[in-house]
Amino acid sequence: MATNNKDNQWKVDFPIQQLDATQVSRRDFAKFLCLVSGGLAVGSGYVAAKANFFPAEKVQGEHFVCKKDELPQGGTKSFVIPGSTIPYVLIRTEKDDFRAYEQKCTHLSCAVFYMPKSGKIECPCHNGWFDALTGEVLAGPPPRPLPRLDVIFKGDDIYVREFETSPKTL
Amino acid sequence: MSNFREAQNQAHPNKTSTLMVALIVVLILNVSIQIWLLYTALNNALNENVDIAFPAFLASLGLFLVGFGWLYFMPGIIRNKKVKYR
Ligand code: FES
Repeated sequence: MATNNKDNQWKVDFPIQQLDATQVSRRDFAKFLCLVSGGLAVGSGYVAAKANFFPAEKVQGEHFVCKKDELPQGGTKSFVIPGSTIPYVLIRTEKDDFRAYEQKCTHLSCAVFYMPKSGKIECPCHNGWFDALTGEVLAGPPPRPLPRLDVIFKGDDIYVREFETSPKTL
Repeated sequence: MSNFREAQNQAHPNKTSTLMVALIVVLILNVSIQIWLLYTALNNALNENVDIAFPAFLASLGLFLVGFGWLYFMPGIIRNKKVKYR
């Protein structure tokens, strides 16, 4: 700040005393906190409205994914259901279990991958791990299990449909 | 002439500061509780456990109103009157 007398034009342009200036900023900070508080209340309202009145759509009907022999043991196949953009992944474990999950980490939506021979699904972004058989979180930051689809067989064809009882963590 | 308020401000210049800090601390506390409520409501709603979302919203709204009313107690700007000596 200019303390000499050469150029004191700023005093005219900004006629607020130093003491007042510090108080103004704290007052503004308090008001800003109040604004943030209002924003958070609105956000909570949005979550409540969305959860109660516009629940997420369920997968309707059964959808063909691929033939059984297209998928080797320990192999995976990504797919989407027609009419939606959610990526899914079909996993055939080494023990011949078939599982289908949303290929979106429940932490920050990174793509997850089956780690061959481990029975686990890995999220490389922040080292999150899920159980390949149940979708439960084993380690890392993800807060919820992976959303899951039911896998059903019709002869050699693999179909998926909405998972009956969605997994819940207590 | 000076009134009681001015005399107080001159005698205890720290008072306003203390009030301001108390106010801000309470507001920060409110905001932290609201963040927690939002986080919990969101996580539960995404887990198909929607019952918590509406009470969390009410609590959050209540905290906002409390914080808003709390601003009423914000100390005013102290104007130092220029004292003229003749
Ligand atoms: S996005 Fe998967 S662990 Fe963070």
